[in-house]
Amino acid sequence: MPETAEHIVKSFEQELNRLRSLITEMGGMVESEVALATQAVLEHDDDAAAGVVEADPKVDALEQQVQQFVIRLLALRQPMAQDLRLIVACLRITGDLERIGDYAANVAKRSLVLGQFNLGIALTGLANMGRLVQRNLKAVIDAIGDSDADAAVEVWRSDEEVDGIYNALFRELITYMMEDPRNITPCTHLLFIAKNLERIGDHATNIAETLYYAVKGEPLTGTRPKGDTSAYAVVRPPES
Amino acid sequence: MPVSRALHRRRRIVNLLGLTVATLATLFGLVWLVWILGVTLANGIGAVDAKLFTEMTPPPGESGGLLNAIVGSAIEIALGVLFGTPVGVMAGTWLAEYAQVRALAGTIRFLNDILLSAPSIVIGLFVYALVVRPSGHFSGWAGGVALALVLLPVVVRTSDETMRLVPATMREAALALGAPKWRMVTQVIWPAARTGISTGILLAIARISGETAPLLFTALNNQYWTVNPADPIANIPVVIFQFALSPYDQWHRLAWAGALLMTVVVLALSVGARAALRRSR
Amino acid sequence: MADGETRPGEAAHDARAEGSGAAQVEIRNLEFFYGATRALKGITLDMPARQVTALIGPSGCGKSTLLRVLNRMYDLYPGQRATGEVLLDGINILDAAIDLNELRSRVGMVFQKPTPFPMSIYDNIAFGVKLHERLSRSQMDERVEWSLTRAALWEEVKDRLSSSSMGLSGGQQQRLCIARTIAVRPEVILLDEPTSALDPISTLRIEELIDELKRDFTIAIVTHNMQQAARCADQVALFYLGELVEIGSATQMFTAPRERRTQDYITGRFG
Repeated sequence: MPETAEHIVKSFEQELNRLRSLITEMGGMVESEVALATQAVLEHDDDAAAGVVEADPKVDALEQQVQQFVIRLLALRQPMAQDLRLIVACLRITGDLERIGDYAANVAKRSLVLGQFNLGIALTGLANMGRLVQRNLKAVIDAIGDSDADAAVEVWRSDEEVDGIYNALFRELITYMMEDPRNITPCTHLLFIAKNLERIGDHATNIAETLYYAVKGEPLTGTRPKGDTSAYAVVRPPES
Repeated sequence: MPVSRALHRRRRIVNLLGLTVATLATLFGLVWLVWILGVTLANGIGAVDAKLFTEMTPPPGESGGLLNAIVGSAIEIALGVLFGTPVGVMAGTWLAEYAQVRALAGTIRFLNDILLSAPSIVIGLFVYALVVRPSGHFSGWAGGVALALVLLPVVVRTSDETMRLVPATMREAALALGAPKWRMVTQVIWPAARTGISTGILLAIARISGETAPLLFTALNNQYWTVNPADPIANIPVVIFQFALSPYDQWHRLAWAGALLMTVVVLALSVGARAALRRSR
Repeated sequence: MADGETRPGEAAHDARAEGSGAAQVEIRNLEFFYGATRALKGITLDMPARQVTALIGPSGCGKSTLLRVLNRMYDLYPGQRATGEVLLDGINILDAAIDLNELRSRVGMVFQKPTPFPMSIYDNIAFGVKLHERLSRSQMDERVEWSLTRAALWEEVKDRLSSSSMGLSGGQQQRLCIARTIAVRPEVILLDEPTSALDPISTLRIEELIDELKRDFTIAIVTHNMQQAARCADQVALFYLGELVEIGSATQMFTAPRERRTQDYITGRFG
């Protein structure tokens, strides 16, 4: 929010601050979940994976807490204008964050399965994707803390890159599977992991849109370059 | 906290002292009132009998009643109310509703208050000069005019004040419906102030029914039966005044009876007026 | 009534009974003075027909003053004057030649505190009607029932029309005042904080009524209750220190106001 005068009712101001800090706390937890999950995949780190699976219920609990807090604020404070937008935004953002947490947990679980295979595939694409997604997630969570609409727009635009990598990965993994049927299980898991990372990126852009509206009072317009074309991808086996 | 306890103690004592002084002052005032009522009752009750209401005021030494004075008083009061009330209510209405120039209204209210506290004997003399002298004789008409002048400022004041107590939004509500001002006043303000105005009139009647001085120079007195306001007319206050000053016992007894009668009537009017006012609130 | 021409008997008032009369109010560069004090500064705004316009703002911002200009109530008080234009269906009501009683029959007003007249419920309604129309007893009965029904009070008072209006509850009294106002069949209804003296349920009843009435009347409401403005109004105007700060749809004003002062006022950050 553009910094305005304090609310006349101090306790309301405090509650709004508490709501913001709940969201950033939740954002921080989700951020580290995603980081750990990516690490678990890339470095076959089972401890990291276990950490993610363990952390997820805490994120869910935090989401519940935010939801109840928002309902209480709506009922008791009847917020208007930017306060209303902030509170409703927090409700939506908490949902997005919870989904991101779920995807991270799913990635972590798949990393445990992947560990059982000896995969001779370089995971550079996935590493890039993980890095980009983490960067966007961090950027948007920082933007919440600073009420920074410009940073939100930045995140919103750069999701296209994530989609690009995902499309490339999609083709790459299918090619691997066609080369050697033994790759099918690990590659399917890798495909889902990539998909999960891509979804995390989408939720980060959702948060960016929500944040933009909360700050500016108008929706983030213009069509976002939709980069995921994998839905239309046809990869045929090489003619032999 | 011993300090505050001492403080509270001192306050209790001061409070008690104040309360005692106030109660004593009230008692002091009440004693005289009760005394007056008591003496009037003690002396008057013995003289009240059927003849009081059926026979004329007697010549010295003979027995009689106060019939002509009672009827005369009633006529005088009726005339006073008849002359004074419409003028008073209209004047009060003008002050409350129409007086746009504040200074003028203020001056008129001030003058009215002076008239309110003017010695009634001055009013008697004024009407004597204005009506009795030019017409050449005392008359009931002149008495009515004098009483009207005593009643007038009371009615003006109570009408003015009760009408000003009607909230401004009531006026605006009537005007907002498109009512012209006169309809607003007659159909909304008067009904709203009705109890206040009628209480004022009752109190004014109570006041004039005891007045002696204005009648002394105007209606005078009449030993005989008359209901014609063109003649001098008998009335209780003047009869009391004359009989009480006389050397005759019988006249003294009638004076006491008259005093008691008047006290009862005035008391009843005052109590009635206040009860009516309270019920309307 | 002197203005018999404009109201030639039944035909005219039947047409208005259909509710075809809602007028549009256009305010152009309105200035208002209490003596030398300028209480409204260059106000320009439109109140579209059959819409509720809420006027909000801190005490003394001029919103009630604006209401009192629309039915020329300020004429009562010496030293108050308005310049500019207030067009009621294209006619400038600030014109000195305007018949105030006729204007007020077209622009009704309901006040903050219920102001029932000290007479029966029936007579409260009939008072205003009689000022402008000559109705037979049965026509008047009909009108009383019609207006009380529109004001959602008929069911509660139909068995005691001849008893004093003072015996009604505050909420009922206020609905009686609304019934009294619509019985005259105005085109515009001005509501000056109509629920500030009422309990929450009575308040909701009045709000429901406003919603119902806006089908036939143009309504302007002054309120200090932001939620009420949000609930009732189609458009909301925020006043501050005699100026119109912002006007917009209720949705826009309460979710994303354009002006910083509006935002601060609406969210409770007013300095």
